Amino acid sequence: MQVKFSIFRYDASKDEKPYRQEFSLEVEPTDRILDCLDRIKWDYDGSLTYRRSCSHGICGSDAININGKNMLACQVLIQDIKKKLIRIDPIPGMPVIKDLVVDMTDFFEKYEVVKPYLIAKNPPAKERLQSQAERALIDEAVNCILCGACTSSCPSMWGNPNYLGPAALLKAYRFAFDSRDEAPAEHLEAIDTNDGVWRCHTIFNCVEACPKEINLTWHISQLKKKMVEREF
Amino acid sequence: MKFFQHNWTKVLIAYHRFAGSWAWILHRITGIALTGYIMLHIIALSSLQKHKIDNGKAFNEEMALFSSPFFLFLEWLLFAFVIFHSLNGIRIVLIDFANGARYQKKLHYAVLTIGIIAFLVMGYVIFSHQLNESTAFLFSPTNK
Repeated sequence: MQVKFSIFRYDASKDEKPYRQEFSLEVEPTDRILDCLDRIKWDYDGSLTYRRSCSHGICGSDAININGKNMLACQVLIQDIKKKLIRIDPIPGMPVIKDLVVDMTDFFEKYEVVKPYLIAKNPPAKERLQSQAERALIDEAVNCILCGACTSSCPSMWGNPNYLGPAALLKAYRFAFDSRDEAPAEHLEAIDTNDGVWRCHTIFNCVEACPKEINLTWHISQLKKKMVEREF
Repeated sequence: MKFFQHNWTKVLIAYHRFAGSWAWILHRITGIALTGYIMLHIIALSSLQKHKIDNGKAFNEEMALFSSPFFLFLEWLLFAFVIFHSLNGIRIVLIDFANGARYQKKLHYAVLTIGIIAFLVMGYVIFSHQLNESTAFLFSPTNK
């Protein structure tokens, strides 16, 4: 089947403004969007730039905006899109370096704010044991691949660039609710601010965007509950 | 390094809107509208202070204006704003403090369904009186 791609192009070294370039491709319904981008780059225009590494939905490099929705290019098939015109943009809310490549420095700075590591003061004799019920609490949260699709889809983040964003908050949940973590208060302290957990207005764009099907808003709501319990 | 940054309002318009986004947008719009309405309401009421001097003439005139069909229609719209804002407020409380984030879409459709039913019932309550009054002369024995 014939599909038309309209791709966002921008090169800071020569373009004043971004423009759109169109490519028509003969594709199979079972082709992934990433396969199509690869074919455009290899056969038509070698200057097209995008991130991709494992191309199997694990590394989280190729989060892009397809027809107005953030998703992973390697996880979406042509038949999932159900449209003859496929608009491809970089993920919104982040500065564009070139074509589909965005600057994620800010994303990872916010990620570090929540102390995304296990805080354990005393080294264990053998291993840190955890019951099945304790592990079940973080089952969903550990699936995050840090692709940035959620944070970049969040209207709170577009309006307020200081907002930590759902990805950072999910990481805070992942360690604050981990039974092996010895200082959950440190993770919670970092997000109990105006631009932290309270900036989430439950819009659910992040849940729709997440390629790992993590319900981020549910995790943020658990954090909110924990904060309130702490106060009373 | 030189970057290109999208304007956030353009992003807001271009990004796909899901059920949750619509709930948020409508909640914002109704919230701002209701804040504006409460100011109008206070101004309209404060102007009635004159009733002490004119024996309720200003009050009666204003009430006559507010029971005209146009104002009844505005009142019906006001009810739509209030019912959506309050029902969606309950939805947000359930999301934040109950397990609502797991079934937010169902909650959103429940808000819309209950809201539309309440809106129609309220429409009947507001206008049935009007309709009866305008057709009352057909049935009333003492013709005016």
